[in-house]
Amino acid sequence: MRHILGIIIILLFIIGFSLVLTIAGNYILPSQEIRSLAKYYLYLAYNPWHRNFTVMSPEAVTSIVWDFRGLDTVFETAVFYLAIIGSIALGRGILKYSKPEGELGLSLIVKTVTKISAVMIIAVAASIALHGHLTPGGGFQGGATAAVAPLLILIIFSHYYLLEKGVTKDLMLFLRSLGLTGIGIVAIIVYLIALPQGIHAYVLQNQPKPDSSIGLPAYINGQLISGTLWFFNIFEFFAVMAGFTIVFLLITIPERAFKKEGEGEKQ
Amino acid sequence: MISLPTYLLTIIITSMIVNLALALYGIFFKPHLTKKIIALTILGDTANTFALIVGYRRWIYPDTPSRPPVLVNYANANQEELIKFVNTAVDPLPQALVLTAIVIGLAVTLFLVFLALQIYRLYGTLDVREIKRLKG
Repeated sequence: MRHILGIIIILLFIIGFSLVLTIAGNYILPSQEIRSLAKYYLYLAYNPWHRNFTVMSPEAVTSIVWDFRGLDTVFETAVFYLAIIGSIALGRGILKYSKPEGELGLSLIVKTVTKISAVMIIAVAASIALHGHLTPGGGFQGGATAAVAPLLILIIFSHYYLLEKGVTKDLMLFLRSLGLTGIGIVAIIVYLIALPQGIHAYVLQNQPKPDSSIGLPAYINGQLISGTLWFFNIFEFFAVMAGFTIVFLLITIPERAFKKEGEGEKQ
Repeated sequence: MISLPTYLLTIIITSMIVNLALALYGIFFKPHLTKKIIALTILGDTANTFALIVGYRRWIYPDTPSRPPVLVNYANANQEELIKFVNTAVDPLPQALVLTAIVIGLAVTLFLVFLALQIYRLYGTLDVREIKRLKG
């Protein structure tokens, strides 16, 4: 079986390589034209002259992520949620463990540098998430960036330092659930606003549509928030950041908290 | 006549196919779970890069590069500028798909790392040949 797989892989490689050499010079350069679907997205991402079709966000990628293909993103968030839940399920049955004696973590220099950079990382992450509808960025990227700060603290200050500061698994679970609930509410908020007024609206609707005259405001006090996009980005930021922090906290649990559990399952 | 951009792009795409082959080799034939996970991340990243290349747009004139899919001057934009933006920006759809794929890939990788860690705690090894031999 292994040999057959090896032969198949080598054959695939040769076929792929030959294909590249054959089409080089003719088709390998990207086209000057993009697909008409992409043009549609680019044209309608921020278009105040077509208010019934636009997202009112100058960032076409975020427009696609949370409006044009919003349902895709909701399902992808569900996959993310399941991966984190899987990790938590694997880390069940952890014994109580106490802080060991003595100084923990790396040297004072590294700790001081981390204290400064962790704050900066959080600030950059927040700006990425809050500006997601204006510049490249958004909830996913902001959350992944913000999760680097607890990871650094875990490695440099130790697992116990973060727990003492109140960043526990339960708090992060709460934050993550809050983020996911927020995404759920924002997804149906236009529908909830429209319902008492007797207008029909869609799930994941942002701006008014041709047959549904209701939508969230694109500007608040002169600031562009692109309707639901800003809220989606904030809630996704919390969900992603807390989700990653949970897994980082679980991975760095000391080995002795697992030892007896492992032996118990072995027998 | 071989043009330089075509040649350079061919090098990139060829090395990505080599990358793909190496990643598949790592996933199938490396017995160590950590190496399998590393190969899986390489496979994912190569697939993402392929998706990005699909969405790229060739420069229309040598001095007007393709633009990122962000309308920078949105506050003072007029229709003419919008049409120009549509005619020069790259395809945003692969970027949107890759963006979510990266974060989910990271979450799945973390899950796999945690799974491998638990396997090591229970069986004391990460070699799939030895894990296969163990009963229970």
